[in-house]
Amino acid sequence: MANEQGGDMRLLVEEIAKALVDEPEQVQVSAVDGEQTTVLELRVAPNDLGKVIGKQGRTARSIRTILGAASMKLKKRYTLEILE
Amino acid sequence: MPLDDKVAAAKHIDALLKRLIPAGGFQLKWRITVDPAVPENSPERPAILVELGGPDSPAVLAQNAELLRSFETVALKSLRLESEEHDLVIFDCRNYRSGRLEELTQAAGHAAERVRRTGQPYSFSPMSARERRIVHLALKAHGDLFTQSEGEGMRRYVVVSLKEEESRGNSAR
Repeated sequence: MANEQGGDMRLLVEEIAKALVDEPEQVQVSAVDGEQTTVLELRVAPNDLGKVIGKQGRTARSIRTILGAASMKLKKRYTLEILE
Repeated sequence: MPLDDKVAAAKHIDALLKRLIPAGGFQLKWRITVDPAVPENSPERPAILVELGGPDSPAVLAQNAELLRSFETVALKSLRLESEEHDLVIFDCRNYRSGRLEELTQAAGHAAERVRRTGQPYSFSPMSARERRIVHLALKAHGDLFTQSEGEGMRRYVVVSLKEEESRGNSAR
C-alpha cells in the first residue's frame, strides 16, 4: 500500500504498463527480492512489447526513471526487467 | 486516441495520474488545463497543459527535468498520440518549460553571433525533439544561417552554420 514513506513499486510498474498496452489484462509484474536490490519482472502480451519499450527504448527508460525516483524514498534499489 | 476530444484526453491523463502518483508514493498534486493561455512569443501551442506541484517538485525537475519528461512520455504513449501530435500535450512544473524556452532562445542568439563571428559551425548539446524544435524556430528568422539536427536518438543535437559555408563545403578550395 502507498503510504507517507513511499509507494508500492510493483503496483507502480503495473499501473504504468497497463496504461501503455492494448491488453492490460496480460500485464504481470513479479518482485524478486534480493538483499539490496529487488528485481521487478514485467511481462506483457507479445504484441505489446514494443509499447512498453518504445522507440530507442525511450518508454522503457521513462518507466525506469519513474521507478528510480519513487524508490529513492524507500531506501532500497529496484531494477526493472522487461521479459520477452 | 487522437486528440480530437481534448476534454476526454484531459480526463484520461487525470485518471492516469490518480493511479501513478499514489502508487509511486510521490507527494505531488497536478492541475490540468485544456487550451491553456501561452505567451505571445512561445513557439508551442499545447492543447493540454499538465502542471505538477507539491513537495516532490525538486525531484521532478532534477537532472534536466528527467522525471517530468518521463511522466509526459508515459502520458503521451498512453493517449496513443502520433509523434506529430506530441506538442499537443505538455507537462510543466514550477514554470520549468518557460524558463527553458527563454534559455534556449538566448542560447540560439549567442550561437548565431558566434557562427557569424568565427564562420565555424556551432553544435548544441544533445536535446529532446521538443527543445531542438525551439532552437530551430528561434534561428529561422536568421536568413544567413542554416540549422539541422545530427546524431541519433537521445544524442541528437542541433548544428548551426553559415548558409554560404554549406554551399562552399562541396567545392574544392
